[in-house]
Amino acid sequence: MRRYFRLARIFLGATLAAQLEYRANFVGAVLASLGEVGVALLGISILFGQPGVTQVGGWSFRAALLVTGFFMLTEGVISVFIQPNMSRIAEAVRTGSMDFTLLKPIDAQFNVSTRNLNLLRAPDLLIGLGLIAYAASALTVTLPGVLAALMLYASAVVIVYCIWLGLSTTAFWFVKTQNVTELFNGVFGAARFPVTAFPVPVRAMLTFVIPVAFITTVPAQALTGTLSVPVALTSPLVAAALFVATRLFWRRAVASYTSASS
Amino acid sequence: MAEYRAEVVIWMLSGTLSLVMMLVWMAQAAAAPGGQIRGYAPAEFATYFLSTWLVSQLLVVWVAHELDFEIRQGTLSPQLLRPVDPLWLHFASHVAERLVRIVPLLALLTLFTVMSGASFTREWWAYPAALGLAALGFGVRFLYEYTLGLLAFWTESSASFQEVVWLVYAALGGMFAPLSFYPEWVQRLSVWTPFPYMLGLPAQLLAGKATLAQAGRGALVMLVWLAAFWLLRGLVWRAGLRKYGAVGA
Repeated sequence: MRRYFRLARIFLGATLAAQLEYRANFVGAVLASLGEVGVALLGISILFGQPGVTQVGGWSFRAALLVTGFFMLTEGVISVFIQPNMSRIAEAVRTGSMDFTLLKPIDAQFNVSTRNLNLLRAPDLLIGLGLIAYAASALTVTLPGVLAALMLYASAVVIVYCIWLGLSTTAFWFVKTQNVTELFNGVFGAARFPVTAFPVPVRAMLTFVIPVAFITTVPAQALTGTLSVPVALTSPLVAAALFVATRLFWRRAVASYTSASS
Repeated sequence: MAEYRAEVVIWMLSGTLSLVMMLVWMAQAAAAPGGQIRGYAPAEFATYFLSTWLVSQLLVVWVAHELDFEIRQGTLSPQLLRPVDPLWLHFASHVAERLVRIVPLLALLTLFTVMSGASFTREWWAYPAALGLAALGFGVRFLYEYTLGLLAFWTESSASFQEVVWLVYAALGGMFAPLSFYPEWVQRLSVWTPFPYMLGLPAQLLAGKATLAQAGRGALVMLVWLAAFWLLRGLVWRAGLRKYGAVGA
């Protein structure tokens, strides 16, 4: 375990050094972050800007903003931690450089999941946390609520990671997977609104088929203390089940891997 | 382009912002007193947003991404030896993709229409008018995205500029809501840009909420923008080539 922590620290140092080489990119990354938050805020403010609208799906403006905050935070988590790694899996399978990863004396899944970071998108994380803090400042938030939200957001991150890993692992059979992750991004866009803002059939799909509801709506509910106990317990269960499933899927994929060379 | 059939369908489905907004607005209208917001009942929201989805699918442009790659990797060089401006090669591949896209696009549109209860206009002239505006809009978008892609000659962040411009396009084009829902100052500002006429206006035509006169006026504004972006693209292209030659030689 300690060895893995040390490795994670070495990986962090290496990517940081590599990224500081391209300082001009930082401007671009900030622009992109502002674009993301702009889209998220515009959608919600036009919705609440209509005469007579004070609630969307039973959520007040500040509460819905909390969901937007979690959405931005998750966008950040994806761009900083998840996507830079996962997008390389397909590349490594296609070129055969996955050989080197599998030969190393550490867990291959750990290696492909932690090797790269995109620190340039860290502003997304800050924007997300800022939005959450701003939205929460006008709501009654209790300490148990914060703790529950922390725990549920941790399972949310696990869920997002598992979905991405699962989608990227298909690269072992289908060489191109970039498109499939685009598809997830499309569905994930629905997470910028509370799940109750959608018609009932869609709500069910966002909860059970693609568990987007657990990623942003559930932690926000925990923070405002409107979460029911069964849902609070379901989220970590879904995360655990997905983690085991993707782990098995990953091992299966690695077992069927035949190198691209010779 | 027919080689990439599966990918074309996935690209189409990943442009879901209109569909997400459609679902949210439909639920909002259904919950509102009187069952409508600003005169839009759920079915009318469905019609409007499916129309924007359809039009935005016709306006998809990825040329900036390709130019960024070609300039950075140097694959632009062999293209420069040809007697034709590379612009036309990109343009042709976009048009070809549109032809592949149209069949699954109409199939999905039919499916979504049945599921959401949308109903499009019965006036026949609205369809060629909307298509014409979409074609002009595609031209405008292609040219400004091309210009943005050329920024790769100078900066590494051309892709980020593209993201920000996409935000302006989506916002002023009316992808979040019909433009009349926006604050008034945004509406007044947007009439000077090409965006409402390339996305929102053709969508309103298909929904039966815009007149032929409005379409004509929109077309005129876009022609001016088309000319402006054509000139701008030419200038940036020539300046960029000088810079590129200096590095490559």
